Amino acid sequence: MTTIGSSMASQPVVFTTQTQYPLPTQKFMIPISWKRYQLSQLVNKALSMDKPVPFDFLVRGELLHTTLSEWCAENGVGEEETLEIEYIESVMPPQKVSDFPHEDWVSAVSCQIPGHFLTASYDGQIRVFDYSKNLISTTMAHTAPITSLSVISVDDSTFTVATSSQDLTAQITQITLGASPSSKMLTSLHLHTAPVSSVSSNLAGTNLLTSSWDGLIGFWDTSIPSSDEVPEPVLNERDRKKRRKIEASAKPMRKAPLLVLKSHSARVSKVRFARDETKAVSCGFDSTVRMWNTEYGVCEHTINAAEKPFLDFALVPDGTSALAVSTDRTMTMYDLRTSPTSLSVSIATFQHTATPSCVAACESNSHQVVTGAYDGVVRVWDVRSTKGAVASFKAWEGKKKVLSVDWRRGVVGVAGEGGLEVWRVGEEAS
Amino acid sequence: MPGKDVGRKSTKRKQIEEEERAQTEELPADGGLEMLSDEEDGDAASDDGHVDEFPEFVNESSSEESDYEEDEEEEEEEEEDSSEAGEDSDAGSDDSLHVFPKAKTIISDITQQPKIVYPEIEPDYDSDSSTEDTPNRVGDVPMHWYDDLPHIGYDINGRKVLRPARGDELDKFLATVDDSSAWTSAFDKKAQAEKPLTAEELDLIQRLYTNENPDAGYDPYEPTTEWFTGKGKEEIMPLSGALQPKRRWVPSKWEKQKVMKIVRAIRQGRIVPSKPKTAASKFEAYAIWSEPSSSNPPPLPAPKPALPTNAESYNPPEEYLPTEEERKEWEALDPEDRERNYLPQKYSSLRLVPAYDRFIKERFFRQLDLYLAPRVQRVKLNIDPDSLIPKLPSPNSLRPFPNYKSLQFQHEKGRARCLSVSPDGEWVVSGDEDGVVSLWEIIVGREVKRWKFGGKIGALAWCPRTDVSFFAVGIEDTIYFVIPPNIDPAVLSNTQTALAPATLPPTPATPSPVKWETPASSAWSIDTPLLTINLIPSSGLPTHFCWHRKGDYLASVSTGGLQSNVWIHQLTRRHSQSPFKKIKGAVQSVLFHPLKPHFFVATQQYVRIYNLAEQKLIKTLIPGIKWISSMDVHPSGDHLIVGGYDRKLCWFDLELSEKPYKVLRYHSRAIRSLQFHPAYPLFASSSDDGSIQIFHSRVYNDLMTDPLIVPLKILRGHHVVDGLGVLQVKWCSKQPWLVSSGADGSLAVWCS
Repeated sequence: MTTIGSSMASQPVVFTTQTQYPLPTQKFMIPISWKRYQLSQLVNKALSMDKPVPFDFLVRGELLHTTLSEWCAENGVGEEETLEIEYIESVMPPQKVSDFPHEDWVSAVSCQIPGHFLTASYDGQIRVFDYSKNLISTTMAHTAPITSLSVISVDDSTFTVATSSQDLTAQITQITLGASPSSKMLTSLHLHTAPVSSVSSNLAGTNLLTSSWDGLIGFWDTSIPSSDEVPEPVLNERDRKKRRKIEASAKPMRKAPLLVLKSHSARVSKVRFARDETKAVSCGFDSTVRMWNTEYGVCEHTINAAEKPFLDFALVPDGTSALAVSTDRTMTMYDLRTSPTSLSVSIATFQHTATPSCVAACESNSHQVVTGAYDGVVRVWDVRSTKGAVASFKAWEGKKKVLSVDWRRGVVGVAGEGGLEVWRVGEEAS
Repeated sequence: MPGKDVGRKSTKRKQIEEEERAQTEELPADGGLEMLSDEEDGDAASDDGHVDEFPEFVNESSSEESDYEEDEEEEEEEEEDSSEAGEDSDAGSDDSLHVFPKAKTIISDITQQPKIVYPEIEPDYDSDSSTEDTPNRVGDVPMHWYDDLPHIGYDINGRKVLRPARGDELDKFLATVDDSSAWTSAFDKKAQAEKPLTAEELDLIQRLYTNENPDAGYDPYEPTTEWFTGKGKEEIMPLSGALQPKRRWVPSKWEKQKVMKIVRAIRQGRIVPSKPKTAASKFEAYAIWSEPSSSNPPPLPAPKPALPTNAESYNPPEEYLPTEEERKEWEALDPEDRERNYLPQKYSSLRLVPAYDRFIKERFFRQLDLYLAPRVQRVKLNIDPDSLIPKLPSPNSLRPFPNYKSLQFQHEKGRARCLSVSPDGEWVVSGDEDGVVSLWEIIVGREVKRWKFGGKIGALAWCPRTDVSFFAVGIEDTIYFVIPPNIDPAVLSNTQTALAPATLPPTPATPSPVKWETPASSAWSIDTPLLTINLIPSSGLPTHFCWHRKGDYLASVSTGGLQSNVWIHQLTRRHSQSPFKKIKGAVQSVLFHPLKPHFFVATQQYVRIYNLAEQKLIKTLIPGIKWISSMDVHPSGDHLIVGGYDRKLCWFDLELSEKPYKVLRYHSRAIRSLQFHPAYPLFASSSDDGSIQIFHSRVYNDLMTDPLIVPLKILRGHHVVDGLGVLQVKWCSKQPWLVSSGADGSLAVWCS
């Protein structure tokens, strides 16, 4: 293995990996005409694996697409230099599984519940699909467009879902599936004076976070109040009449927040619980990513970026860093562990060709994320390779915006202008 | 020149003198003798053949001789003159005196034929008078060198030749008495003595005196030699002896006609035969070099024709020879498109090279080039071109500015003529010519609400107040005030109070022709406007709205109507008034000053600034634009940009003059819209060429520094429809984002 035909020019190479298939630390002389495929075969043979596992190779933060010699010529690496090549498991080419056409734009998708897809649409409805493309349930949650959706708890065929809307409220809705699907609005969350941009719940489903265009973040529990915690606004005659009509139906109780997190100076575009659930992370149009302590309601740490209005962010599964997409067509990776005193710097920047609107991290692989952009292209990134996306696919015909992506169990739900599409990405097949 | 008193001189001298005298006495006789001897010396038998054979040669030699002698005679004449000797020359007998040796004809003994025999020329020094042995051999030196010496030179052996004794005047006189030939002598400088002239010389002198031919042998009356004519030499000439035609001697008719024409012209005064000589007709002398040198540069020499290259050789290297494809390609090209006008060809030797077939053509074009091509000397500027470019900061250092199209919103029908961004920068309303007003999120581009009005939407403006939320919509003769959905209840109630107060304000003393209407509160809905201002009928389409910063006053400009078209509407008083009784020119745009109670009014060519509080004109700006389309004032209030349909964009510093501080002409078509960013140092201009241009415009607080204007980016993406491009641009107030509306019905959000 170490001695390969001396007639060909070769390059000394050391392989490293963070996968479960480590090679012994050893210098290999690799013919420089080799490509990814030969290298992958080499690793497979060296490990004498039963089932071949395709690998991708990262050379100095760049995926190897060409032969080694071409790469060396491009980067000016001499033959004598020892290259350190990291190999990662290949991302299989994404495959389209199915699509779910919607009448209106879909602003949010959740693949959290196994066997089901939940979508929230601009027509104010929550739709539940199962994997065989059947629309199981439709719930009219808001009169205004829904901006985001979060699953609070799953109990057999009863889902509790939080939605945020442009009608300045968020809502907790219970959807019961079964022979006669029904839904019930449990409570509405009243804090914001501007459209609510996002809602997210913690894993246990006990707490909620909402963010709004008015720069506020609300911290809520999910208990259903027995009475209005927030008084009805003083209504004029016209509204009162309207209200009476609504009151005829079941009117949900008005709920007040536990805490209001105030620090953002502009629209907060996204808020999520951190891995440690007493912490929350948010990003906004004031080009900051902020970390909050939800027990005390204070901002613990702020990452200031220059002129990057953030649209969305995702936390990598180990919770150490955040990937935030902004309107300057970049996704930037920030280390969240840095102490408030130290200057927080971005780790890596990933360039897009259109505005990336949403980002989702892979659950199982802490190096992979997907981003959806306004040009309708969903890109799969390996955070170690900043030069280009590992894989990308176009969701709909034409230029239709992707507004939300969710990546669970190897399935990417892509929601946007054209409805919902489901693609299989990643090694983990469900 | 024999002297009488020889005996008085020294004996030696006497001897010499005597010798000389003997010589001189002998000389004339000698000359005669010689002639005789010449004639008599008849031993020509030895060389008679020679003479017979080469008569011309002999003639020549004789003529040479004669020439020579002539020269000598002249010399002697001079000598005579200088010596002032005998004035009268005795012309001796002409026949006996013959300078030239006479030839004689004898009968040859051998051939018995008559032959001419010339006297033999003896090849010694005496044979020729020019080479006769003169005792003095000093050469051609002035003889006065010897004036103070006893001798007069040296003979051939180097011995001194003593000066001959010279008698005084008495001796001379005696000599003339004694010697009859004394008066025919001349002074010989070399010999320093009188020398008697020979008979031939005297004869020559006499002939010259009588203006005769000096050659005694010359016969002016000798019979003509008939070389070409005469008997036996008649020439056969191709001449006819026919009679001359009549026309040769009859006066010419056409000559007469011509002459008569001239005569008639003279009579009629068309030709003035003797023009009076004027000063102009006179030739005037002038100094050709004295005129001042003209300012024109001297004519340029034509460029030299290009030297032939290797390819033009008759035997070029192989690499110059065209391949078959190249040859075909060359032949397929038009002659004027060809890179060179020949194809390299190879000949094995120079003698196989055919005649040059392009010679005439080449010469012709060369002459054309020399004759017709104007040649201009281009003055080469020795300036570094980089130094001419103003030092501007790099656009990358001036980020953020919008540089790409993030999303697009499409109106189904009609041009999107106007748009407005909400003061919080979250929403955009856009109106098209179909009467549709759409409300959409700036960052998603999803239409949230749509209103339909009954006519073209001319203008849209969102109220700048933050405690209320509504916007004004301008359609034909009407302004509507509309509340967007999904606003905070507190804001909603504020807005409703502002637009439709429960208690109407008292009507002003002077009622306005403009009517304000609010529907009954039971009829309020989100789809209908809460307040309507009915402008005067047929006042046209409001094309421009401008809110005062406090959100109480709205100025509207209508175009296309008949009535006065500028109105200021005050919401709290529900009253509209026209600020101007009469306006010169059609108002294009109006603006409120952001800080002061000033009001900008742009007519077609001027921008006037009025003080509304004092009701007077402050300033008139002259942008030099033929038709102003739009203007905007900087948030600081000190700078104004004005755009025109003639593509110009003028920047005014209001502190400075009424002329523009800077005129930018970057658009290729009419400028449609301009706006300063309220927070960032940016402004944008949109044009009918379908492009939007972003400028960095930094205004400094100190009054010394001029504003810095840097062109940053040209945004393209709108299509030009019917000659209309981007109709309006508006900035998002909190982000460096730009929203543009185009004639293609699309609106685009440009993000940084």
